[in-house]
Amino acid sequence: MKLLVFLAFAFFSGLSISAGDYKCGSIECYEFSPDTKDKESLQRGLSAYMNYCYGCHSLKYSRYKRVAEDLSIPLDIYEQNLIFDDSKIGDLMHISLKESKAIELLGAKPPDLTLEARLRSPEWVYTYLDTFYEDSSRPYGVNNKVYVNVSMPHVLEDIQSELSEEEYDRYIADITNFLTYVSDPSAETRKQLGIYVILFLLIFTAFAYLVYREFKKDLK
Amino acid sequence: MTTDTRTKRFLSWIDFRFPLTEVFERHLSKYPAPTNLNIWYLFGFLLIVVLAMQIVTGLWLMMNYTNSAEEAFSSVEYIMRDVEYGWLIRYMHAAGASAFFALIYLHMFRGMMYGSYQKPRELIWLGGWFTYLILMAEGFTGYVLPWGQMSFWAAQVIISLFSSIPVVGEDLATWIRGDYLVSGITLSRLFAFHVVLLPILLIAIVFFHILALHEIGSNNPDGIDVKKHLDEDGVPLDTKPFFPYDISHDIFALGVFLIIFCSVVFFFPTGGGYIIEYVNYEPANPLSTPAHIVPSWYYTPFYAMLRAVDFPLFGLTAKFLGFATMMAAVAIFAVLPWLDRSPVKSIKYKGILSKTFLGIFVVSFFALCYLGMVPPTETKTLLSKIFTLGYFSYFLLMPIYTRIEKCKPVPERVAEA
Repeated sequence: MKLLVFLAFAFFSGLSISAGDYKCGSIECYEFSPDTKDKESLQRGLSAYMNYCYGCHSLKYSRYKRVAEDLSIPLDIYEQNLIFDDSKIGDLMHISLKESKAIELLGAKPPDLTLEARLRSPEWVYTYLDTFYEDSSRPYGVNNKVYVNVSMPHVLEDIQSELSEEEYDRYIADITNFLTYVSDPSAETRKQLGIYVILFLLIFTAFAYLVYREFKKDLK
Repeated sequence: MTTDTRTKRFLSWIDFRFPLTEVFERHLSKYPAPTNLNIWYLFGFLLIVVLAMQIVTGLWLMMNYTNSAEEAFSSVEYIMRDVEYGWLIRYMHAAGASAFFALIYLHMFRGMMYGSYQKPRELIWLGGWFTYLILMAEGFTGYVLPWGQMSFWAAQVIISLFSSIPVVGEDLATWIRGDYLVSGITLSRLFAFHVVLLPILLIAIVFFHILALHEIGSNNPDGIDVKKHLDEDGVPLDTKPFFPYDISHDIFALGVFLIIFCSVVFFFPTGGGYIIEYVNYEPANPLSTPAHIVPSWYYTPFYAMLRAVDFPLFGLTAKFLGFATMMAAVAIFAVLPWLDRSPVKSIKYKGILSKTFLGIFVVSFFALCYLGMVPPTETKTLLSKIFTLGYFSYFLLMPIYTRIEKCKPVPERVAEA
């Protein structure tokens, strides 16, 4: 009985933390501003993502080719190094891990991450990747401060132990930049086009004002 | 034969069979608009532009959208990623919805401020009110189509409101959904409403609204009846022809509007979560409820009223009473022309009471808009109650305060104002 009460308490306290007032679970988000213009960072982020995340997390709304083109990666190099199954370069980025298998292995279906950076914010992704900590009560021996009691193991554990703190921060910044890019791949084109549109409208409006002023004189 | 006379002959051929020149002159080029119109008179024109934009972008979105529960979400991402300029079309349509509401609220407020609903413009006002109703339905049905989490749960919450109606509620909600819970069937019927039924009604009623306006003529900020003083051709003296005077004014305003609108579309397309909510980037999941279900900003004043009524009364449930209050808040605009007993139209010449109550209405509207967005607390629910009373007091006390207050005399001519 005591155990039951304890478990219930643990469960609900866990819930209240994960549904807490902070934007990043149990803590405030770390400061992070994504840079989707830095192509080298995006390429490093893509490479890290494909090696450490893509086994479980698909990017199923995005296509290999679009990513290759946007990140200035030659298509043949991309095909040889970053497509792991028999997918064509124009295909959507599905993973080969079946949902039933994932549930058997991890107890939950790993979510698709194409839109994660928009759903949660880049700061959330960055903070999440930076806040795994040892917790022997969890199945994989790790827990996370942002996503409390997450089912995911700390896949970057080896990387984190090899790299200095600064290098690891850059590593997860690259992944976050990449996820930010892939959540809204037209963002850079949009902003560039936007400048021309606004410039045109400013000139248009200036002339429209002059015409208006001219006609207004008649009414005096 | 010169081109000029050829055009004339062609036009007279048409005019003999259809009143083309007459319609064009009556509704556009020679439409007499009062000379004292101000910035508040721009929103009608801008609303027409936004309506046209929504129809065009909507048409293109429809070419690539799939209205099934399985594919709706991914078809929106397909539009965002694989369709040429699909992102632009979609962001324009989403921001267009918010712009539509912002403009219609300003347009309605103009009518309330200058008494544009008063005799003989009651039917113009009713047409506008009906446009607003349809627009709310259009906004809601459109919101559901991307089939994200917020789409699904908004549909769930809104449709379940109908189930609070005594006796027939449950059956009615099931009938609206077409299913026992919100499902692909609900999605595809809302899609049909969004792209066929509601736009047809919207265009028809806007046509009626403009036809009625052009028959009676525009009101003006002073509420002066310009038709009392006509020139020898029967044209009111205090007016100017739409072309070129108003159109040049409107196009300048359109430029300013587009600068604001395009800044949003190109640089802040999600509007910080107010135009496209972040929760909606997760596909609809009937098994997981989002922490906060919040409607779009343009419905939040009414949502706040729904939550403010948290007590049962006369054997009716709190939920039903809240729903009824919310509906009444929208419906009450329709009777505004008959609530106002003032001898003058414009707020400029009305007394202090009218000014105060209009002020109370504006403050209440904005406060409720905010309160509908944030999670409820005890204080906030109390505030919602107070502001709901403020909102309704403007309407319900109007027959009294417009009769007892002292008004200023309205000048005969615009030049004297």
